Amino acid sequence: MARAPAPALPPPPAASGLAWLRRRLFATWFDAIVTVLAGAALVWLLAALIDWAFLDAVWSAEMRERCRETAGACWAVIEARGRLILFGLYPHEAHWRSTLACLIVVATMVLSCLPAFWGMARLAGLWLAGFGGFVLMMHGGLFGLPVVTTEQWGGLSLTVFIFAAVVVLGMPMAVVLALARRARLPVVAGLAALIIDTVRGLPLLTILFAAAVVAPLALPDWAQGDKLGRVIVAFAVFYAAYQAEIIRAGLQSIPPGQEEAALALGMPWRSVVFDILLPQAFRNTLPATINQVVITFKETSIVTIIGFFEVTASASAAIGRGEWGAYYVEVYVFVALIYFVFVFGLSRYGAWLERRMRLIRG
Amino acid sequence: MLRMLRTRRSRGIIIQAALLAAVGALVAGMVLTARENLIAQGIATGFGFLDRSTGWPINVALIEVSDRSSYARMLLAGLLNTLHVGITGLAGATLVGLVVGMMRVSGNLVLEILGTAFVETFRNVPLILQVIFWYAVLTHLPPPRGAIDLLGVGFLSNRGLMLPMPDWSGTDLLLIAAALVAAVIAARRLGGERPLRAAALALAAVAALAVLLLFLGHDPARPLISLPQRQGLRFVGGLTVKPEFAALLTGIVIFGGAYVGEIVRAGFLSVDRGVLQAARALGLSGWQVYRLVHIPLAVRAMLPALANQYVWLMKATTLGVAIGYPDYFMVVSTAINQTGQTIELLLLLMGGFLVINYTLGGAMNWLNARLAIRGRN
Amino acid sequence: MKRHLTAIAAWAAVGAAGAALPAAAADPGPTVRMIQERGSLLCTGHNGSYLGFAEVDDRGNWSGFDIEMCRALATAILGSPDKLQIIPVSWAQRFPALQSGDIDVIIKVTGWTMSRDTELGLQYSLPYFFGPTTIMARTEIGARTPEDLAGGVFCINAGTSIERIVADYMGARGIPYEALNFEKPEELRAALYAGRCDALAGFGPFLAATRFNAPDPEAFTILDAVLALEPEGIAVREGDDGFVDVINWMISALLMAEEYGITRDNVDEVRANPPSASVERLLGVSPGVGERLGLSDDWAYRMIKAVGNYGEIYDRTIGEGSVYRLPRGKNHLWSNGGMLYPLVLD
Repeated sequence: MARAPAPALPPPPAASGLAWLRRRLFATWFDAIVTVLAGAALVWLLAALIDWAFLDAVWSAEMRERCRETAGACWAVIEARGRLILFGLYPHEAHWRSTLACLIVVATMVLSCLPAFWGMARLAGLWLAGFGGFVLMMHGGLFGLPVVTTEQWGGLSLTVFIFAAVVVLGMPMAVVLALARRARLPVVAGLAALIIDTVRGLPLLTILFAAAVVAPLALPDWAQGDKLGRVIVAFAVFYAAYQAEIIRAGLQSIPPGQEEAALALGMPWRSVVFDILLPQAFRNTLPATINQVVITFKETSIVTIIGFFEVTASASAAIGRGEWGAYYVEVYVFVALIYFVFVFGLSRYGAWLERRMRLIRG
Repeated sequence: MLRMLRTRRSRGIIIQAALLAAVGALVAGMVLTARENLIAQGIATGFGFLDRSTGWPINVALIEVSDRSSYARMLLAGLLNTLHVGITGLAGATLVGLVVGMMRVSGNLVLEILGTAFVETFRNVPLILQVIFWYAVLTHLPPPRGAIDLLGVGFLSNRGLMLPMPDWSGTDLLLIAAALVAAVIAARRLGGERPLRAAALALAAVAALAVLLLFLGHDPARPLISLPQRQGLRFVGGLTVKPEFAALLTGIVIFGGAYVGEIVRAGFLSVDRGVLQAARALGLSGWQVYRLVHIPLAVRAMLPALANQYVWLMKATTLGVAIGYPDYFMVVSTAINQTGQTIELLLLLMGGFLVINYTLGGAMNWLNARLAIRGRN
Repeated sequence: MKRHLTAIAAWAAVGAAGAALPAAAADPGPTVRMIQERGSLLCTGHNGSYLGFAEVDDRGNWSGFDIEMCRALATAILGSPDKLQIIPVSWAQRFPALQSGDIDVIIKVTGWTMSRDTELGLQYSLPYFFGPTTIMARTEIGARTPEDLAGGVFCINAGTSIERIVADYMGARGIPYEALNFEKPEELRAALYAGRCDALAGFGPFLAATRFNAPDPEAFTILDAVLALEPEGIAVREGDDGFVDVINWMISALLMAEEYGITRDNVDEVRANPPSASVERLLGVSPGVGERLGLSDDWAYRMIKAVGNYGEIYDRTIGEGSVYRLPRGKNHLWSNGGMLYPLVLD
C-alpha cells in the first residue's frame, strides 16, 4: 500500500463558547438524554452533599445534643476528638512539638520540590536538617525537652514522618537496585532481580508484619533497633523495589549510544551514571515516580494494622468510645480530607513538573 | 589488551564471589540467630502443628471448616477466601473502570465531570480507610428484625445481603453442562462468516435449552431456587453476602475501579487519531471503528498497566484483617498467635502470596504476548 | 605521689568489689539485668483501648488494671513507676513481640494454656487475676442462657483463648453460632454497638466495661452463664527463673499489703512502726526481701508507695472507685471468699 501525504486540511473553525457547549452536551439525541439524566444526578448529589456538610451541620461541641436531631453532619465530633486524631498517643502538653515537627517535615518536602534545591548535595543537606529537626522535636532529650519514645508518636506527624523517611531511604536503594539489575555481572544482576521480584510479589502488610514481629528473632540484639525503625526500613525496601523498576525503565529508554559514546570519550563510569544516565532516567520517568510516591503516601495507612497510632488508627480510636460512635462518617471524611490534601497536592505538583519538563525539552 | 580484559574479568569474578559470600553469610547468620533464639526460648519448630486441630472457627469459608479442622485446612480456607475476594474484586474493578474510563473519554461534559469526580475522590484516599468506612456503613444498616425487604426475594440488614440462590443438584448441573457443550458445537458449525451473531444465537438457544432441561429433569420436591428466610436470629437458605466480604469487595472495586478507569482512559487516548481517521476513510461506520479499531488498540495499550494494577489489587486483599474478614493473612496471623510457629507460618504466608501473584502476573504476560503478536501482523 | 594514688585506687576497687559480693550472689537473671541497664521496663499496652485494663484517654495517657501492674513491676525493678514504656501491641502480636524482645513481659490478662506454656515457650507467673469468660447479649433478643442465642453472631477478639473457650462450650452443647473475629478492639466495639453481632463473648470485666461505654448500656445484658474461669498470669520468656521470681513476689507483695492493710497513704507510718516481723521484712525494715531477688531491699515499700496494694489497684481501675464498679468476686483475697493468696514471706 503506497502512502502519499495527504494535502493539509484547513484548521477547524474556532468554536464559540456556546457551540462548544452544545457539542459537548447535546451532540446527538442520545447524548442529550444522557446529559439530562446525568446532570440531574450530579445536581442532586451536590445538593445533598452541601446540605449534609454545611447547611444542616452541627459545628460546635457545646451543641452536641443537636447532633442526634439533625440530618446533617456532626462536626462537633471533630472538635471533641480532633486532637486525638491528629496527635494519637503523643503527650497532651507536648502537642505543640508534634505540630512543629510535622511542619518541619512538610516544609522540607515543599522546599525539596522547588527547582532551586535540586542537586545531590543540597537535597541531602536539606533532608538531614529536616529529619534532624523532626527527631529533635518529636523525641526530645535536648534543650530541656522531655523524651517522648517512639511508641507514643502518633497521628499526622507519624504518618508524614514514615512517608518522608521511606521515600528518602528508598530512593538511593532503588538507584542501587536498578543499576545492579542492569549490571553485566550475572550474580549481581540475578540477586537484584531476585530481591525486586520477590518484594513486588508480596503484599506490603506481610513485609511490615515480618519486620515488626519476626525480624527481631532473626537479628542479633545490636541490629534490631526499635520497631518503628525496622518497619520504616522494610517499607523503604518495598518502595525501592517498585521505584527500581521505574528507574530501570527510564534507563532503558536512553539510547545505548549515549553511554557508549561517553565511555569512549574516557569519562569515568561514575560520571557516566550520575551525570548522563540517571538525570535522564529520572526525567523520563517523572510521572511514574510521582505516582509511586503518591501511592506510598497512601500506603502509610497500613502501619495501623501492626500497631502504630498514625492518623488512620487514631481515627478509629476517636470513634471507639460509645458517645461518638454514631458519627463515624464525619471522622472518616475528616481523615480522608487530610489524605486528599496531601495526595492531591502531590499529584498536582507532578502534573506541573511534567509540563515544565516538557517545556524545557521541547 | 588481553591482560586488561583478564583483570577486568577477574575483578568481576572477585566482586561477585565476595557478594555471594556476603549474602550467604548474612542469610546463614540470620538463620543461626533465629535458631538460637528459638532454642533458647524453648519454642517448638517444624510443620507438625499443621495436623493439629485449631480449636477456633472462622465465619466465612468456601470449604467446610470448624473448630475441629486442622491448621492445614484452616489455612486453605483462608487462601480460598483471599482468592475469592481477590478475583471477584478484579472483575468488579475492571467493570467499574471500563465504565468510568469510557465516561471520561465520551466527549459528554457532564459524564466527564462525573467520571473525574469519581476518580479523584476515590483514588486519593487510602484503600484501608475506604474499606473501614464501607464496613461502618454496612454495619449501621438495620438489624435482621428490621431488615430491608428486597421485593420479597432478598433482605438487606447488618448481617449482610441475603439473596436467592439457585439450588441445583448434580444432575441439573450436568444437564446445563451438556446444553452448553451442544451450544458451543452448534456455534462452531453456524459461525464462520459472522461469529458474533452465531455466538449470540447459540447463547439464546443454550439458555432456552437449559431452562427446558432443568424443568424436565428436576426433582419436583426440591425448589429450583432457594430463598432466604428468617429463622430465629439468622437467615437460612439462599445466598448470604457477609458485610465483611461486601465491605472489602466494595473498597477494592471502587478504589481499583478509579485506577482502572485512569488506565482505560489513557489506553483510549493513546490510540493515534490518524489511525481512527484512516479507518473512517476506509468506509467503516463510527461503531465499527470503535469496535474493530479503537477498542482492540486501546486494550493492547492498557494491558501492561492493567497487569500491575491487578497484582496490586490482589495484594490489597490483606486489608481484610482490619475488618474481620478471615483472609489468608488474618488466618495466618491468628494461627501465629495460637501456635507461636511464627517463622513457619510467615513462610507459608509469603509463599502463598508469591504463588498467587506470580500466577496472576504470568497469566497477564501470556495474554499480553498473545495479543501483541497478533497485533503486529 | 602518683604511685600512692594508684595503690589507693586499686584497694578501693578491691573493697568495692568485696562490698558488691553479696549482691552478686543473688543474680536477678538476664532479663532484670537488661531492664536495669536500659533503665526502663517494656510492658504491653494495647493497639487501642482494652477498657478497664489498658485504655487511652483523650490526652493519650495509659491507664487500667494491667497498666497499674506494669507500673508496679517497673517500681519493683527500677524504683519508679515512670521508668516504664508501654508498647501498644495487639492480642495477636503479644507473643511474637515477647519472643522477639520488643517487650520484656506480657501483662495483658493472658490465660494460662498448655500450648502457650509449652510450644510458645512462655513461662507464667502466679495468676494475678481470675477472669470468667461470659457472654453479653443484646437485650432486645431477650436471651437468658447461651442456648437462647442459637444461630446468633458472636463478636470475639481474634487470637485470644476466648475463641477456643466459646467453640468448646457451644460445640459441646450443640449450639450453632457464628464467630466474628476482630484484631482490634475498636473495630470489635464499633461492630457490636452497630448491631453487627448478637452477642459479645469475652472476659467478664471487659464485657462490663464495654457495656458501660455503650451509647445505651441498657441495650446489652450480661448472661449469668460462665463458660470458663481462666487464670490470668503474667507471661515472660522461658528460661529466666530470676525474672519469674521477681514477678511472683511482686504479686505476692501487693496481696500481702492488702492482707495487712498497708495502703499507699499509710505505708510510711507502717514502715516506721511495723506491726509484725513479716511486715518488717516486706517493707525492707529488716533485710532480705530485695537482696534475695537481686533488687534493693525497699522495692516493695516503693511499689506500695507508688501504686498501693492489690485492692487499691483494683478499686481504682475497675472496682468501686472507677466508672465500671465491678465487684471483686473471685478476685478477692482468700480470707474474703476469693481465690487470691500471698506466698509466705519468711
